[in-house]
Amino acid sequence: MKKKILVLSLMLLLSSAIYEVNAFCGFYVAKTDAKLFNKASQVILVRNGNNTTITMSNDFQGDVKDFAMVVPVPTVLKRNDIRVVNQSIFDALDAYSGPRLVEYYDQNPCHQYYEMKSMAARPASISKDEVMADKNEEVKEDYKVTIEATYTVGEYDILILSAEESGGLERWLTDNGYKIPAQAREVLEPYIKSNMKFFVVKVNLEEQKNSGMNNLRPLQLSFESPKFMLPIRLGMANADGSFQDLIVYAFSQQGRVETTNYRTVKMRTDKNVPIFIKDKFSSFYKSLFDNSYEDEKNVSYLEYAWDISSNNYMHCDPCSSTPPAMKEMQEAGVKWLNNRHQNDYSTSSDYTGTVYFTRLHVRYDRANFAQDLMFQETSNHENFQCRYVLQHPVHESVDCDQAYTYYKGVYDRRKKELYELSALTGWKIDKYDYYTAEYKDLMNDHAPKNSKVNNKGSVINMDWADESLLRKIISLVIILSMVFVAINIKGKMK
Amino acid sequence: MLLSIQHLKEDARHFQILALSIFLLTGIFVLGWDSNFVKYSILFSSVMLFQFLFAWRNNISFDSLKSAIITGFSLSLLFNANHWSLYIVAAFLAIAGKFILRINGKHFINPANFGICATILIFGNSWISPGQWGSAIYLFLLISVLGFTVLYRAQRLDAGIAFLLFFLGMDFTWNLIYKDWPIDFFVQQSYNGALLLFSFFMITDPCSTPNHRVGRILFSLLVAMLAFYLANFHFVNGAALWALFILCPLTPLIDTFLVDKKFTWKAVKS
Repeated sequence: MKKKILVLSLMLLLSSAIYEVNAFCGFYVAKTDAKLFNKASQVILVRNGNNTTITMSNDFQGDVKDFAMVVPVPTVLKRNDIRVVNQSIFDALDAYSGPRLVEYYDQNPCHQYYEMKSMAARPASISKDEVMADKNEEVKEDYKVTIEATYTVGEYDILILSAEESGGLERWLTDNGYKIPAQAREVLEPYIKSNMKFFVVKVNLEEQKNSGMNNLRPLQLSFESPKFMLPIRLGMANADGSFQDLIVYAFSQQGRVETTNYRTVKMRTDKNVPIFIKDKFSSFYKSLFDNSYEDEKNVSYLEYAWDISSNNYMHCDPCSSTPPAMKEMQEAGVKWLNNRHQNDYSTSSDYTGTVYFTRLHVRYDRANFAQDLMFQETSNHENFQCRYVLQHPVHESVDCDQAYTYYKGVYDRRKKELYELSALTGWKIDKYDYYTAEYKDLMNDHAPKNSKVNNKGSVINMDWADESLLRKIISLVIILSMVFVAINIKGKMK
Repeated sequence: MLLSIQHLKEDARHFQILALSIFLLTGIFVLGWDSNFVKYSILFSSVMLFQFLFAWRNNISFDSLKSAIITGFSLSLLFNANHWSLYIVAAFLAIAGKFILRINGKHFINPANFGICATILIFGNSWISPGQWGSAIYLFLLISVLGFTVLYRAQRLDAGIAFLLFFLGMDFTWNLIYKDWPIDFFVQQSYNGALLLFSFFMITDPCSTPNHRVGRILFSLLVAMLAFYLANFHFVNGAALWALFILCPLTPLIDTFLVDKKFTWKAVKS
């Protein structure tokens, strides 16, 4: 069937639309008994050699005076290692890398033309952040807890603690108004023994007032350590018994980032789905994710991976929003890029250098994630995206010799789309019978007079044309033939 | 003759090849790895070609192609690269290393291990993915490994078991007893397909490990210690592979102190 690309990429701000985004990767501890949720977090990871920069989005919803957070960190951070940044970089990265819908329009088989339109929406706002510092503090002997540093950064009061034993740390936190959730206790001791420090945060109400902002801004930490990890174990603290979602945006120099102690699984992608998905893309992707999660719970899902180096012209295909620019990446902590020279027209970006972007989606709970997330930077340069395809039929009536073939094509295609929808999301497709019925009628109306219409379609057989299955079969043949050859080699001395 | 048990039993390597093919098929069909058949065909054809050339030049039996196919399987399972040419490089380094790096006529490197580590070190653009196995299919892999090892009555199983015991023992002591992590932390650590693959198919390689049993166990202990150190203190991914790569020159040294007769594959034949 002839087709032309018409509309590119309708992108939904997925994680914000679907999930109740509300978090940090450390754990919230309630000062009062206010009901706090910690359902989904967004984190930007930047890895350069042994240097890691972690930026944690803050979508805390309650009263800011109740906000409190503890994040284990491998070193005592200096004041310059801590910054507050703008929430807008998260929105930009989410929009850039989220699952996307692509629309294609059939050409009328009787006459050919095409039109183009595109959709995208982007929020943007950037303001300055301030960094203020305070003095160091005394050792608290009772608790065997040392306050290594005290800073005020933006609207946050920050303490960096080291502890000798978990009991003391726990008492210190409790006595200072941090309520430790039961599930967090078991990991305090291992963290102390691993020589981790505790980055303890509260909101400085005065600074918050002076800043004139209602929302808490993301905190950014930067440190040197061979450990490339995210301490999710502490974050499992007050997840009210259920799972939490975490979206990781990673920037690296060598290639794709993957988890080393959990499998990194590619999300199912490049599927043709019914056109009515356009109106319910959020719930579609949520069901798709839920469905995949049911199959495999202790894995991290790859949702996006792209080579956004300056020498790669295409930073997305199709682009759902503007690819990350120098300014955003610098704010996220990418320090190795250079500004593009004014007269350098060899690149589409405003920087020069090599950089890879990865988006991982982890849904974790205590039962399936016994360990923190450990990462490695691989040399994998393959691009990947979650992309779902809508194929629109022609609007006006088709009236020529090709009409029957065309309508039959649409009918078969739609049957397959429904089948795919059910396989991806687990949705019941009975109620979508109308989706194929219309084209069944059109097909019958245009049936050549002498021939009998075969209504069966060819849903089942089409799967054999699936490329991934073909690849698997070829791999199978190679492997089996190697086994056969190996076993039947007769060694003869020359 | 096709797959009769009698024929299979003629060479212990047959069972090894079957077990490795099950690992690879599990990866492709159960774990949904990218079924990169181009990679597999390049790896297998290059290991066989290089093995053929070296065997021909050194005037040894073409029976050794069986060993090359084992190397091909190990590379397919563990090694990833950005460009197809690196698969040829890894295959070449593996086979050439086996023929060139010899002391007293015995090669002291594990071909696949050497091919992987040397390629990553020299050329970059390639990597190993220790996380690709997950823990869900661990028991299945364990059973298939044990089944085959029992069947093929491997003579060098002692090295693999010693390695696993030493490595997991140190890990248990450090992470569970000392650091106080919950038990499932340790389970997750040990339920690792890559660790099984290493223990049963790499460090057990009879040709490149010490000839004397005491020597083999000593060697396993050293590899386990280094792997543990690299993994827990330097956060090296795939630590066991690097430990074996670094320590393999010790094999000829151990062989000079603890003398035993050299292994040949035909010796297994009953």
